[in-house]
Order: sequence, then C-alpha cells, then structure tokens
Amino acid sequence: MKTLNKINVAKSALPRKVVSRPAKVAIRQLPTGVRGLDEIMGGGLPEFSFNIIAGAPGCGKTTLAHQIMFANATPRKPALFFTVLGEPALKMLRHQQQYSFFDPTQLNRSIRFINLSSALLKNGLRGVVEEITREVEASSPAIVVVDSYRNVTRKTIAEENELDLQAFVQRLVLLLTSWQATTFMVGEYAEAEMRDNPVFTVADGIFWLSQNVERNSVVRKLQIIKSRGQGSVPGLHTIRITADGLQAYSRTLGLLQEKVRPAKRRRLSSGIPELDEMLGGGILEGDSLLVAGPSGTGKSALATQFLAEGLRHGEAGVAAIFEERPEGYTARAGTLGMDLRTPQKNKMLEMLYLRPLDLSVDETMQEILDAVKRLKAKRLVIDSLVGFEMALAPGFREDFQESLYRMIAALTGAGVTIFTTVETADTFNEMSFSHYTISFLTDDILRLRYVEIEGQLRKVITVVKMRGGNHSKDIREYIIGDKGVAIIGPRQEQYARLTTGLPDRIGQIKELAPEPKAK
Amino acid sequence: MNRQGATPAMRLFAECLMAYETKAGPVLAGNKPPAVLVCDKLRLPLATLMGNAGYRALLARALTLAKAETPWPSEVVIKPDGSLGGWETLEAQDDPQEMAEAGVVLIAQLLDLLTSFIGEDLMLRQVYEVWPTVQLPQGDSIAQRKNENTK
Repeated sequence: MKTLNKINVAKSALPRKVVSRPAKVAIRQLPTGVRGLDEIMGGGLPEFSFNIIAGAPGCGKTTLAHQIMFANATPRKPALFFTVLGEPALKMLRHQQQYSFFDPTQLNRSIRFINLSSALLKNGLRGVVEEITREVEASSPAIVVVDSYRNVTRKTIAEENELDLQAFVQRLVLLLTSWQATTFMVGEYAEAEMRDNPVFTVADGIFWLSQNVERNSVVRKLQIIKSRGQGSVPGLHTIRITADGLQAYSRTLGLLQEKVRPAKRRRLSSGIPELDEMLGGGILEGDSLLVAGPSGTGKSALATQFLAEGLRHGEAGVAAIFEERPEGYTARAGTLGMDLRTPQKNKMLEMLYLRPLDLSVDETMQEILDAVKRLKAKRLVIDSLVGFEMALAPGFREDFQESLYRMIAALTGAGVTIFTTVETADTFNEMSFSHYTISFLTDDILRLRYVEIEGQLRKVITVVKMRGGNHSKDIREYIIGDKGVAIIGPRQEQYARLTTGLPDRIGQIKELAPEPKAK
Repeated sequence: MNRQGATPAMRLFAECLMAYETKAGPVLAGNKPPAVLVCDKLRLPLATLMGNAGYRALLARALTLAKAETPWPSEVVIKPDGSLGGWETLEAQDDPQEMAEAGVVLIAQLLDLLTSFIGEDLMLRQVYEVWPTVQLPQGDSIAQRKNENTK
C-alpha cells in the first residue's frame, strides 16, 4: 500500500498536461550529408529509423550510405559498415576515398568497416545476427550500414526458409532500434520484390535509386518511396554523382521556404524610358517578362540594358547565358556603352555560362538559384530559352517546361524579376510568340519583329501582355544604336497589318519635292 | 601490374614493426619469427575489414611477390585461418640473416599492396590500430605521414 500511495503522490505531482495527454515524442532528424536530400526528406533522416537503400548497380547506393556515415559518425557515436559478399572492402575504400566527403581521419576512429562474409558462410543468418550484435553492443553506433543486405537474403533463400528470413529481419530491427542506431540496408532490388520481401514491410524508409538511359545520355533519379513519421517531397528527383559524391535536386528546387513577394510592388526601369512608358511605368518587381523575336532583333541587347539599369541602381543581377560565352557577352555590352566587367569584379553581377553535355534541368536551375541567393540578386536574365533547352540532355527536355515553371514561380514569388528571351521564327502572315506554353511562364510579353517598309527591313516592338496592369497597345519602331535599343518615333499610323511583317500603307504618301533640274 | 621490389620506405617501416615485435616480448611470442608475429597481429584488423578470404588473398599475393624478390623456403604456407604456417622448421634449416631479410620483404610487400589499394593514409591507419606507439625512424616519408596523421 505504501508503494501505491507513493505512486498516487507522484502522479498528482505531475503537471496536468502530462497526465491527460502525454507529449508527442520529438523525432530528431539527422543530416544526410547529401546536398538537397535533407530538403527532399522533409528535414533529414529520422533518428533510429530502419531504412532500405535500393536500386540497380551503379546508381550510387554505397556512395549514399557512405555520405550518411561520414556526416553523422563521431568517436562517441560511431558508424559501423558491415560488408557481406559484395564489393571487396579494399576496392570500396579505394574508390570511396576519391570523394571529397571521405575523411580518412574518421576511419577506425568513428567509422569501422566489418566484413560479415565468413559469419554468413559459416553460420548463416544466425552467424550474421550474432556478429552484428557483438559489434553493436561493443560500440553503441549511431549509424549501421549493411551492404549488401541483398546478398544476405540471397544466401538465405537458397538454404533456409522464408520464416527464417522474417525472423532474422525482426531480430535485426529489434536489436538495432533498441540500441538506438539509425540503420541502412543496402541492396540491389527490382521493384517487384517490394511486395514479397519482409524487409520492405518493416522498413521505416525506402530510398529508391534508378538510372535511365535515354538516347546517349544517362539520367539518375531518386525516389523516397516510404518515409514513416515525416513528409518527404514526392516524385522522382534528379541526382548526380560528382567529386563531392551524390547531389540531389529536389523537384521543389529548395524553394519551399522562400518568402513571398510583397503585395505592393515597385516598377523597375528597363533602361529604355520609352519602353517603360509602354509598360505603364516599368516592369513590375517580381514579374517574369518574356521577349520574343527572331534573330538579330536585339533581344540580348534589351536583356543587357535591363541588367545594366538595375546595376546603376545598386541592384545585383545574374545572367544565365546559353548561346554566347560570358567574355563575348560582356564585350558586346561594352560596345553598347554598358560596363558589365566592373560589376562582375565587384560581385554585383554573375554571368553563368551553362553548356555542359547531359545537363539536367534541375541542376541547371540549382546553379541559377545558387547565384541568385549568393548575390541577393534582384534581376535575373535567361538568354535564351531555346539555348537553355538545347543544353539539356534529351531525357531532361521533357521536364523542361515543368521545371522552368517551378523555378520561375518560386523566384518571382520571392521578388526576383526575370527577363527571359526566346527566339521565334518570323513568318510573314502571322505573329507567333514561341512554341512554349508561355502564359504559364510569363506575366509580361514583349514581341519584336521585322517589318518591310519602304524597301527597308525595319524593326518594331509591341507589348502583347502585362498581367499586372495596363500597357500601351502601340506598335513602335526601334533601332539598335551605339547605346543599345532605342525606340524611335510614335506609333505607326501610316500602316496597317504591321504584325504580319508586310504592312499595307493606309496613310497618305507625302509627295517629295522634285529634284532640282540639272543645269 | 608490373611490380618492382618492395620500396625502401616500406622496407624500413617493416623493419620497425618487426623490431617492435621483437622488443615486445619473446616469451609471449613463443619464438615465432618477427615477420610471423607482425602478420598475426595485422590479420585481425585486416580480416575484420576485408574478410578472412580477403586477407588470405592479399597475404598470398604478398608472399608470391616476396618469393620473387628473395629466396623463401617452400615450407611456409598460408593456413585457412590466414596465419602463416611452416615457420617452425625454418630456424634450424636457414641462415637467420636470410630469414630476417625474407620477413622484411614479406611485410613490406604486404604493406605496399595495401598502400596500392587504399593509399598510404588508410594503410597507416590500419597499422596504427595495432601498434599505436610504434616509433619510426625520423626522416622517412612514412614517419612524416604518421606525424601528420596524429596531429
């Protein structure tokens, strides 16, 4: 009775909230060590979770496991990497040490590699569990990796029965969870195996890596098929293996946390007063503007003027260029009286030249986003969409429009103003804007085109669309002079059907005075 | 791979390990030759890392390379557990100087092999797991590396 009283006293002393509704357990999240993956995971790896890293050979499974280990292992809470009949440990170390995350000082201090092949071959699953138990109890690891778990089960299927395998999985999960380890079973699996293999049922998280070949390019993808206890970003995310190991590119491009643009927005000057006038006072801050026109109509010159005007007002800018090298772009701006060299030196302007082979759309977007964040840029130029799409591996082109939409939406939402150029083919019976579904991509559209007037090929500009307000409906002639694009003259009232490129004169022809007669 | 003999730096390192083992205690050693003692001690961490079969394969390769460099008695074999066998008959039959040299070459080849697979940094880390206090002669590259690693 004395004991019971003690319990009663203790209970009444507890805060009311604890008695009536126990506080939820907080699941700590561990860093993955993979750029972009924490965001995809919804913050990181749930501590003490039991995970599967699955996929075909060459997808980066072992590298992913290594990155997780190196990001989390400490001498007090080490990582144990058990190898089983797979890649020889010496070769694995030989290759993995090439990555920048591989810190040799952690080896044997906070990361230990243990081979289980003998235990498996000699004593089967029992031997494996005994060996893992011994090592886990001896070092209380934070991270445990078994690579390849698939080889363990293959041996079992051949020699033992399915129940043994289920019992083994249960024992392993119980052991590793009780010893507060976050565990990763690495294995080569086909998707169909997910239904029958008991390890997929007990797993808290499943990382599925895949590698698809499309024409001449290879595209690696990651999917979080299962993530108990926390929301991950759904869908397939591009991954790339570089000298830094795996890098993941979230479908949200890491922009979920970006602030939203203010309700009241400024109008930014394009650098051309007459064009600002046509735009109703300038481009609305946070708008995405598309300039469409054929080759030679001055799209890049307009983009450069937009950047230069921002720089004049102390606004940092980023130019992602795909059709010309930065030196050439900078030099050409110089011939139009715009100095882009000094702002690049002063870290106010960054020119990104992105034309490697097999570029993935998400990593290109990430490069752009990184530059925008680095400079706290207010103005972004993408010159041009066609060049951007051409620089991508064929497998990524299908996703281009969707990814571009996501990036533009997120960046403009954060208040960055985007100026994009797109080349169009002019026909002389219609005025098209581009083959992209532009209404999704842009708030504002400017159209440049050639028109034939009085035996000359001249250029005209018009504002087709402006989502944020009223704009001029005029079609005005412009020239590209030594200071860039300059709009000349009021709207053309002498001609109709200018948009076709072959206008009809509707105004009166002014008779020219006859030339003086020769004496 | 067209391998040359064991490198001078690795030979020096092997000599240091063998000298350390000789000094450590002839009673415990049970009169095993120093090279056998060094192999015995390396066996545990290396077999943990690469499995018993992996260690045996590596030692077999080192033994083959050592035999090409210096005369080795045919009695010496690698047992299934990865330990060296057949050394008991050696002392009576062979010149001790020659045997010591053969031992140095075997250990140096083993360490050289490890280095060629996982690099000097990781090889040294494995060795210092076993002999954390081994003193190396100053001035050779491995000694300098040890100092850098322990900083």
